[in-house]
Amino acid sequence: MSSSIFDSSPGDSNPGGDFAAREAAIALPPRNTALRRFCRHRLAMAGAIIIAILVLGSYLGPYLIPYDDTFIDIMQRFAPPFSGAHILGTDELGRDMLARLMMGGRISLAVGFTAMVISMGIGILVGAIAGYYGGIVGAALMRFVDAVLCFPSIFLLLALAALIEPGVASITLLIAATAWMDVARIVEGQIRGLRERDFAVAAEALGASDLRIVFRELVPNAVAPIVVAATLNVAKAILLESYVSYLGYGIQPPTPSWGNMLNNAQIYLTSAPWLAILPGLFITLAVTSFNFLGDGLRDALDPRMENH
Amino acid sequence: MTQDDTARLSRILAPTRRGLFAIGGGAAAAMASGTAFAQGRPAGRPPEKPRGQVVIGLSQEPTVFHPLMPGIEVDQGVWWNLFSTLWYIDPDGKFVPDLAAEMPSQTNGGISEDGLTWKVKLRRDVKWHDGTAFTAEDVKFTLDLINNPNFRVRNRVGHGLVKDIKVNAVDEIEWRMDAPYAPYLSILSLTFMVPKHILSTATDPNTSPFNNAPVGTGAFRWGSRTAGDNVQLVANPAYHGAGPYLERVVFKYIPDLTVMYTQFRTGQIDYTGISGISPNFAREAQALRGRRVHVNPTASVESIAPNLGSPVFGDKAVRQALYMSMNKKALIDAIYYGLPTPTESFLPAQSWAINAELPKHEFNVAKANETLEAAGWKRGPDGIRAKDGVKLEFANSTTAGNPVREQAQQVLMQDWKAVGAAMRIQNMPAAVIWGEFWQQSKFSSVMVAVNYMLGSDPDVTPRFSSKAIPAKGGRGQNTFQFENSRVDALLETGATQFEQAARRTTYGQIQRIIRDELAILPIFQQVLVEGTKDNLTGFKPNINTSSNCWNVREWYWAS
Amino acid sequence: MAPYLIRRFGQAVLLLLVVSMIGFAILHLAPGGPMAQYAIGSNMSQEDLDRIAQQLGLDRPLPVQYAEWLWRMLGGDWGTSFRDGQPVLHVIGSHLGATLQLMLTATLLAIFLGCWIGILGAIRRYSVFDYLATIGAMVALSIPTFWFGLVTIFVFSVELGWLPAGNRETVGDGSLLDMLHHLIAPAMVLALVETAIWSRFMRSSMLDVVNQDYIRTARAKGLPRFKVLTRHALRNALLPMITVAGLQMPTLLGGALVTETVFTWPGMGRLFLDSISYRDYPVVMGILMFSAAMVLIGNLLADMLYAVADPRIRLG
Repeated sequence: MSSSIFDSSPGDSNPGGDFAAREAAIALPPRNTALRRFCRHRLAMAGAIIIAILVLGSYLGPYLIPYDDTFIDIMQRFAPPFSGAHILGTDELGRDMLARLMMGGRISLAVGFTAMVISMGIGILVGAIAGYYGGIVGAALMRFVDAVLCFPSIFLLLALAALIEPGVASITLLIAATAWMDVARIVEGQIRGLRERDFAVAAEALGASDLRIVFRELVPNAVAPIVVAATLNVAKAILLESYVSYLGYGIQPPTPSWGNMLNNAQIYLTSAPWLAILPGLFITLAVTSFNFLGDGLRDALDPRMENH
Repeated sequence: MTQDDTARLSRILAPTRRGLFAIGGGAAAAMASGTAFAQGRPAGRPPEKPRGQVVIGLSQEPTVFHPLMPGIEVDQGVWWNLFSTLWYIDPDGKFVPDLAAEMPSQTNGGISEDGLTWKVKLRRDVKWHDGTAFTAEDVKFTLDLINNPNFRVRNRVGHGLVKDIKVNAVDEIEWRMDAPYAPYLSILSLTFMVPKHILSTATDPNTSPFNNAPVGTGAFRWGSRTAGDNVQLVANPAYHGAGPYLERVVFKYIPDLTVMYTQFRTGQIDYTGISGISPNFAREAQALRGRRVHVNPTASVESIAPNLGSPVFGDKAVRQALYMSMNKKALIDAIYYGLPTPTESFLPAQSWAINAELPKHEFNVAKANETLEAAGWKRGPDGIRAKDGVKLEFANSTTAGNPVREQAQQVLMQDWKAVGAAMRIQNMPAAVIWGEFWQQSKFSSVMVAVNYMLGSDPDVTPRFSSKAIPAKGGRGQNTFQFENSRVDALLETGATQFEQAARRTTYGQIQRIIRDELAILPIFQQVLVEGTKDNLTGFKPNINTSSNCWNVREWYWAS
Repeated sequence: MAPYLIRRFGQAVLLLLVVSMIGFAILHLAPGGPMAQYAIGSNMSQEDLDRIAQQLGLDRPLPVQYAEWLWRMLGGDWGTSFRDGQPVLHVIGSHLGATLQLMLTATLLAIFLGCWIGILGAIRRYSVFDYLATIGAMVALSIPTFWFGLVTIFVFSVELGWLPAGNRETVGDGSLLDMLHHLIAPAMVLALVETAIWSRFMRSSMLDVVNQDYIRTARAKGLPRFKVLTRHALRNALLPMITVAGLQMPTLLGGALVTETVFTWPGMGRLFLDSISYRDYPVVMGILMFSAAMVLIGNLLADMLYAVADPRIRLG
């Protein structure tokens, strides 16, 4: 279920919890280092390139093809890929698959990205406040984070889904609401550590406001893990969108998303397998790319974690 | 594939569905098709002793085993085998006494001339599963329990009129009605009797151990339940009627229709019960070896239910135009693979009260546009019509996660765009949509399949009477907010008529008015595509019962 | 250790209280109510729904309902399911076995495979195997589980006919072989993600240890590579895996939900999904509390085992 291998757990006193972070970078023979860097970068680069292609394809593609993603042509149902005018075939209502995959990509990527931004926003805010002020406020906030983390994420997602009417905006919020806790933890830890460091103390001595210290001095210094978490969160959000769709709480038709396309294709798995295989592949491709990118960024930005 | 199979296949998949369910008198043809097949192969005779088991796949989990509490069709399927009713309605639409010795009627004096006093003679040879004899006391207890304010009963429609229940003898019961009420005969055909000697000792009628270890008079006894997976019943050798011929019945919960079909295909289940085989698998299922596919009409009518209280749907011209611009044929042929029959009425074609003379739906976009123009709905710059500042736009809702319905919604969306009406899809989880949203008429329009009848009675007072609008404080389910004084008067007449011919006229007129007013935009009568293994004999679909598991007692494996 | 345990226990109780409030609030604020989804099929009117809501006590103010629920819970009464009238603990208990069976099988599978892949990857770092394992793990983490499950059913059940298309057992069979036959596909699907996670953690932990001074010293002393790896490195590298096991608890429960749905496995996931769509509040609350408790216990056990296994760590 988890897209990040750093799924955290409640109870921040895990002695072994961040053992990966403790991993020391031991000098290796130069040949290996070069190879390692090369390959590391190659996978991350490949991820970045694929993401770029997916984004461009989703946003520009629909203007380049002669089909509309919602135009129904009931006579042309289930045309297989590479068989006629529709390159990737048509779906259960005779709509062009390529057009739908592009528009669906737009929605899925947008949901993933927006959910990431929102979850980051909440996470950074909660983490920064808790980390900076500490004390009762900090403890209360972090215990709240712990409590939310006690819900297996899919349980939380389903419980929250009961609250909303499915739509692009509400699904985005839903996903964000289940993904901010890790960020809050990371930021809280970072800020708590940084707070005592010289530049923060100096800024405080100079009479800077709390807000200024937190967001101008402390948060920027914690940017590396935040960026990594953000990238991985996009991957997680795209995946979660497909789960929400699968479990019947997805984005409303006729708007396509990779998740609801995949969900609707389930019943045609035997008769028209491409309907399920294509969106599934795109989800996997996008999520894998974001995961590789996040991994690569972790290496680049945080040398302590390079072995991972 | 036999000749029969081929013929049936071509009938089911025929592009014109005329004659598909040309069912002369009740669901006879559906049954006839079953027997026709039985003749085609060695059907054999039922075994002397109960033998073998049947695994019935269900897409919802049966969890309620007290037959008077709120339950759904899958629960009812289990009840039919554990419990008995006073009488039931067979596939031909005839009442058949079960626990009753004979059908009460005005002719035999069972129902008084004024329809107010009912006297029912009971069988004397019926035993509960624990061996205790069934008596009139049990019937009295059942009716009393239904009206017990502390009991979590499903609903009290009809039962609320029952007063002064008297046990005349062990085998005779009598009661009075507050008002003559013809549909009660039909309501009782779906009311299962519960044992007094077990339930009367329970302190709280809602939570007695009986709920999970039910004792009835049916052909099967309670076996076991694995929550989330299956319910097993075992043969009751002391059953008062014919059968049972099976040692064991297993109701297996398979939440996903695709998986259910796959398991039917791979032979893990013997019969696909509710909700059967998805239409998209019907053709493929036909070709399976050793399997039989039954396409049977249900009593539910699929329709667009408009909220007549909204400014858009309050205008009859809008309803007419939307109905005319709905490409019903394409919808049924493509999305539903031509399986269901289009309908104009809220009643199933098999009902004795069906009005076959209703005007036929006409797909005519030009005329729809004219109708709207004439009614003052003018196209705006965005192509959407408006009148007096009200735009011709509305939402359509249905239970989220039903892919076939969602397809139908999208097709309608495109159809209606052509006449300048903007539809938006707003689907919701079942627990939300069918709660206040539906009951208090907070929806704009809904795509829904409803069984409008009370049991098998065409009385639609709770659905179309102006006193049955919950949003206006009424009692009932007229969530469309349909108000028509003529219909009100006819409904009152119909409920007090006991003569079928007279009632047919009354309900025929009601259907005519509802069709003219388009209180609902009827699309088709639902069908259930069900599969059984080839050698499973005795399966007999019955539109008059809530479940085709009603006669598992008569099922057996042909050797 | 005792004060530490008491403190952790206190924290856990507090967390559970917060969890229960969040859960209760979400559930009861959600629109819709029990029976509503049944209303359409069984001729129930708003009046009937209101009557039943009142009989179930759902018409009272939320804080009152919560206080009553909490009070009963403290007394050990988890309530009664609206759906089948059984006590909640009984309902959970009757679904737990299936989930545990699936989870344990998948976890064991994942631990063996994952550790093996991880160790091999660490020892032969930057080999072709290592890269393939890395890419494979990343892809496995990125595949939607249900999609993988559907494809598995399509290939192995529908096309090849090797495995049953779901269910826990053939009704009326009940043999061990039959059960194993049904277990293969869902366990494989659930184990996929787990294996990926375990292999990544194992690799990382192994690398951590291999690069420690004492291993280098051992190697420098001329001890055979294999002996060093098994005798010294492996033992220490496996240590942090205890924590991973604790961390995986919530992930597994969630993953099981989706896998159970695909394979019609009668476990907790199915129960949760059905209960939430029915608005069976007592059962949903019960599952939430139960899983939260499992998560907390998992974490605590992981920490304690870790402390027991690694004398350098002292809890306190």
